[in-house]
Amino acid sequence: MSSSTINPGILVALPELEPSSPFFKQGMSLRVTGKLQEYIVETAVAIIIDGGATLMIDTQNLRDLGFRIGSIYQFIGELLIQPENDAILKARVGRNVDGIDLNLYHQSVLLRRQFESDLMKLREA
Amino acid sequence: MDPTQSAHVKLLAADLLSLTARSAGAGVSRAGRTITRAEAVGVVVSRDRANKFLRFHVDDGSGCVPCILWLNHRQRPGSGGGPSYMDLTAEVAAEHAAAVRLGALVRVRGRVGVFRGSVQITVGDVVAERDANVEVLHWLQCVRLARLCYDVPAPARPRS
Repeated sequence: MSSSTINPGILVALPELEPSSPFFKQGMSLRVTGKLQEYIVETAVAIIIDGGATLMIDTQNLRDLGFRIGSIYQFIGELLIQPENDAILKARVGRNVDGIDLNLYHQSVLLRRQFESDLMKLREA
Repeated sequence: MDPTQSAHVKLLAADLLSLTARSAGAGVSRAGRTITRAEAVGVVVSRDRANKFLRFHVDDGSGCVPCILWLNHRQRPGSGGGPSYMDLTAEVAAEHAAAVRLGALVRVRGRVGVFRGSVQITVGDVVAERDANVEVLHWLQCVRLARLCYDVPAPARPRS
């Protein structure tokens, strides 16, 4: 398996996932983090929340991961946009990240984006 | 000697994967500095176990770093040391392989090389990280080190 076949999960905050966002694209690989609000056993769909925004996660491909309401989870997968802009992330991997400092995490993501943008400009120059 | 030649250089995947190869076996180069070892932290997103090796990818959000962990220490006569040394090395490699689970956050350190035109890490050690905050710390260290150290031209060699 070569690295070209696996897209990295771009780090996004849930409030950024709105239809006008550059991250809101069919099939886009994303990494999302949020508190588990609801888990529907019949469909294996989890709903996570962060910053007032929610996202549905299809966890059918995940084994060995227990779900506890109120715990914080992180998922990497592909975004599937359904009619009327309903989005669901089809998770490839997931993990419990209880104890994570979400404020620090989101601030660091912004710093990283700036760094990666500078790096890209440097490589292109 | 330039310290980046002997240290495990902390790099984000996007940075690591954009490095250019030097001559065969001489590592890779970043901003004119030779890099032979690297450290990456991320989530295991693929795992392909063969008889002699474990190949996996670590995703840190900026790229997926290909890693190879050799498991054939008992089958390599030229690997040095006696049988007990090789047993111990094989045991350590097996422990490392056990840490590489799909979805786990891992810290990988090893030699940087080029395989079929792509940068990869030949794993020296890999550990599963329990605290999710260590990944954030690693990102900040990568950014800080790049700006304050790796992007700064290497010191000139003293004349002997």
